[in-house]
Amino acid sequence: MSNTTADVIIVGAGIAGNSAAYYCAKKGLKVIVLEEEMIGHGGSSRNGGGARVSGRDAREMPLAIYATRHIWPNLKEELGVDPEYRQNGYLVCGYNEEHKKGIQNRIADAAKMGIDMYLLEGKELKDKHPYVSDHVTCAGWTPTDGVANPLTATLGFYKRARELGARFITGEKVEKIKLYKGRARTVVTQNGNTYEGGKIIVAAGFGGKEIIKSVGLFVPVFKRLIEVIVTEPMPHMFDNMVGGMSGFYGQQTVHGSFVFGNALGREQCFAEITTPVSSSYNPANICHTIGVDIPALKEAKIIRTWSGWTDMSVDGVPIIGNVAEVPDLIIDIGCTGHGFCPGPASGYTLAQLANNETPDVDISKLAYERYDMAKKQPQYY
Amino acid sequence: MSRYLDRSADIGEFIPQPDDDLIICRCEEITKGEIRKAVHLGMWTMTEVKRLIRPGMGLCQGQTCSKHVKGVIAKELHISPAELDDLTARPPMRPVEMGVFGNEVESHE
Amino acid sequence: MKRYNLAVIGAGPAGLSAAIEAKKHGMEKVAVFDENSRPGGQLFKQIHKFFGSKEHKAKIRGFKIGEDLLAEAEALGVDVHLNSVVAGIYFPMKRLGVIENECLINYSADNIIIATGANENFIPFDGWTLPGVIGAGAAQTMMNLHGVQPGKKILMVGSGNVGLVVSFQLLQAGCEVAAVIDAAPRVGGYGVHASKVARTGVPFYLSHTVVKAEGEDHVTGAVIAQVDSHFKPVPGTEKHIEVDTICMAVGLTPMSKLCSMAGCKMVDKGGAVPETDKYGATSIEGLYAAGDVAGIEEASSAMITGRISALAACRKDCYITDGEFEKEYDELEGSINKLRKGMFSHENKGRTDITKTDEGIDLSMTLLTKGYVSDREIERFPGVVKEKGVHPVIECTQNIPCNPCQDACKFGCISVGEDITSLPYVNKASRCTGCGMCVANCSGQAIFLVNDDFEPGYSTVTIPYEFIPRPSIGDKGTALSRGGEAVCEAEVVDIKVSPVFDHTALLTMKVPKDMSMKARFYKGKEAL
Repeated sequence: MSNTTADVIIVGAGIAGNSAAYYCAKKGLKVIVLEEEMIGHGGSSRNGGGARVSGRDAREMPLAIYATRHIWPNLKEELGVDPEYRQNGYLVCGYNEEHKKGIQNRIADAAKMGIDMYLLEGKELKDKHPYVSDHVTCAGWTPTDGVANPLTATLGFYKRARELGARFITGEKVEKIKLYKGRARTVVTQNGNTYEGGKIIVAAGFGGKEIIKSVGLFVPVFKRLIEVIVTEPMPHMFDNMVGGMSGFYGQQTVHGSFVFGNALGREQCFAEITTPVSSSYNPANICHTIGVDIPALKEAKIIRTWSGWTDMSVDGVPIIGNVAEVPDLIIDIGCTGHGFCPGPASGYTLAQLANNETPDVDISKLAYERYDMAKKQPQYY
Repeated sequence: MSRYLDRSADIGEFIPQPDDDLIICRCEEITKGEIRKAVHLGMWTMTEVKRLIRPGMGLCQGQTCSKHVKGVIAKELHISPAELDDLTARPPMRPVEMGVFGNEVESHE
Repeated sequence: MKRYNLAVIGAGPAGLSAAIEAKKHGMEKVAVFDENSRPGGQLFKQIHKFFGSKEHKAKIRGFKIGEDLLAEAEALGVDVHLNSVVAGIYFPMKRLGVIENECLINYSADNIIIATGANENFIPFDGWTLPGVIGAGAAQTMMNLHGVQPGKKILMVGSGNVGLVVSFQLLQAGCEVAAVIDAAPRVGGYGVHASKVARTGVPFYLSHTVVKAEGEDHVTGAVIAQVDSHFKPVPGTEKHIEVDTICMAVGLTPMSKLCSMAGCKMVDKGGAVPETDKYGATSIEGLYAAGDVAGIEEASSAMITGRISALAACRKDCYITDGEFEKEYDELEGSINKLRKGMFSHENKGRTDITKTDEGIDLSMTLLTKGYVSDREIERFPGVVKEKGVHPVIECTQNIPCNPCQDACKFGCISVGEDITSLPYVNKASRCTGCGMCVANCSGQAIFLVNDDFEPGYSTVTIPYEFIPRPSIGDKGTALSRGGEAVCEAEVVDIKVSPVFDHTALLTMKVPKDMSMKARFYKGKEAL
């Protein structure tokens, strides 16, 4: 094989692409990863680092469960890089009766999947989580959820995959996929290079939408800006992930800094901006929200804000798997802002598909074909 | 799009140097040796090195050390520092308390 | 939300000048934002007299220029926001997020001029994070704004103008400067700045770098070493210097973060700077960069670039016509071009192959390697003449953009000519009255009055003197040579202070006649 030919061509060096490269390399497959920007440029490095199962749509829960049970706990040893995974629970704050009902619904959803989640109120809430203000009247608590470091996790998979022989090329923007006798085979880049693979995996976030369009596939995915603030390192306050029914989420990192994000509801209007930059709106909103719920953090100094794109699918869960119409093409797109935690399980699954194995995780509900109206079950439309 | 980089290209072995203990990023206390090692782990951009081992991620956000981090990475990759992209410039320009940043008031004519 | 016609970020020389210019040309709502409690940027630390010519405010001390600019801006109704950090700049809505009075306030603007100046560079070496290793700018802030000595005994690393000017100010503040070192083989700054430091006895070590800051919890000493042509320390050349402070003056990097945050196209010019046209316009319409942030120069040119950017914004939004703009621009361009000439101009930066002045005179190599002109070399420069009676001796030996000496002499003894980088020469010196205006007005402190006919066997030398306490008439001390060596006894025979001298005292010392072309500094009986 030439150096532009491989068993698997992976488009996108995010957490799914990098972990897929790692698992493929582990299986002895020859892998080439093509990335438009640098390693971990997109959403994989731009998220709050929540590693949670709770609060998820049942269709994607199996991936998150597999990741938190079988992958995250062992990653530090496996990769030789510390992804700072800590299974210290997830607290989701509520402020009114409506939120309490929402939390109770989540508890019921979790129970169906065998996940323990509890409602905390009153004294118990204050005793266990003394940092939250009186504004928080109820909360959901999932002890098996946790947090990780998106930066080191994404780079860690890259580092290990590279050590195992996966070839990564950055600054190589894939423009289209070419068919060979009806099967996906070749990718063509903006630099004019072509790469051939037995399987093509597209795990390129929102950028994947345009790429798979080239073989006549269309995914209902749009782009949304996320914005996050990061503080200076602070004395230890909590180890768990914290979120709010209002939409905020965040953690205190191993390093001591706090990382918090939130949404205002106007994020998809920024899609016309070509590079993700912080808006003048959201960081102030995040700071205000956190100040109300966790008053002690008002003193913490923000040292940076950052932003990124999430690829939002219209029905809130990703599109992952083989595409029946185009054999040898495997896609992972539309993670909708919660693809980090299940990311390694997605990569694990993508690698199994690339190796023609039956996946360990049930991803049948995430198929591209679910949008087909003939399926007559689009309760989300 | 970023510059084309084949991450399998040979940059040679990591060879320890006498000044590897020299602190380059003083906010996060990252040494020259740590940065050089990160390059050999495959971190070939300023941002990747920053994200893996934190130089430029502290209070001054790389204001003091960026030039030196860039120099160390470039040397390790046998390229000119000008070939490396700078870290993304992000607000705020100076550290600001959350309480202050969250206290937005309207500007009036 | 309040919208300004022009929002300027940075109230330094470029920013204030820009705001003034915009107001003068009809912009109604103009604001300047600065994170410091005092406007003026670096100007307020600049206690030395500026170079250039009259139009560039030459011979006026920097802080006075700052005061004048601020007064003018306020008189014109510029909104000056102090203690206001522009935390973020947001496009496409042309908005500034400003932290002031413990709040976040957003302002929008039709035009934005970024004039945020520069940061000091640092070089890492063993021990560079110890307390006591400080930037030259920080030292200047401590001394000139807060009246605090940064240390008692200081090693200055860097012989550019910043290193030289700050070394002199450290001496003025009563600190001891143990040495000025530079990795380059030549003194980087103006020779006249080096000379005023060298004549007080400070040694210069060129082709030297600092390899170590010694000390446990603060600096107690420094190890310097000679470097080879690749700037690598040569083993065995290490020298220990006892100091408590190491002052770094190793260049500046444009503080251009706001430009890249806004999304400007950036280029690398010793640090990222926004790509600009000749008016300072960046790749984003309505966003300009002026002063050091667009490329390191100095305060005088910063003032002009600020004005040019403001004019460009005024033209864009129809406050002035194209014709008016062209006329004013041509004038400012002419003015800035004068400053950008000479052997220290941008294009000559870092050159080590210049050996002659524009006039064809061999440069003083002693000046370039030791910081002073040797007795033998000084004779060849046009400002150095022997006359009967009192006359000026102008020890200005490099082509720098400066000509206040020409204007200072009401009797026409001194000429620079059309080209302000030309070396000054003495004509009709016999008409010299000994008024001393040239001595006081020379920003480089390079003019002396010599009178070889003072009394039999004795001459007088009048020197600019900017130290306190000032000696009194009748005091006896030691005369130092250009290189700072004691050459003879000296008696103070006159000390003149006048408002027109602007804090520069004229000290006249009596020395043996054969010392009149050697004695260039007076050291009292008590140490300097």
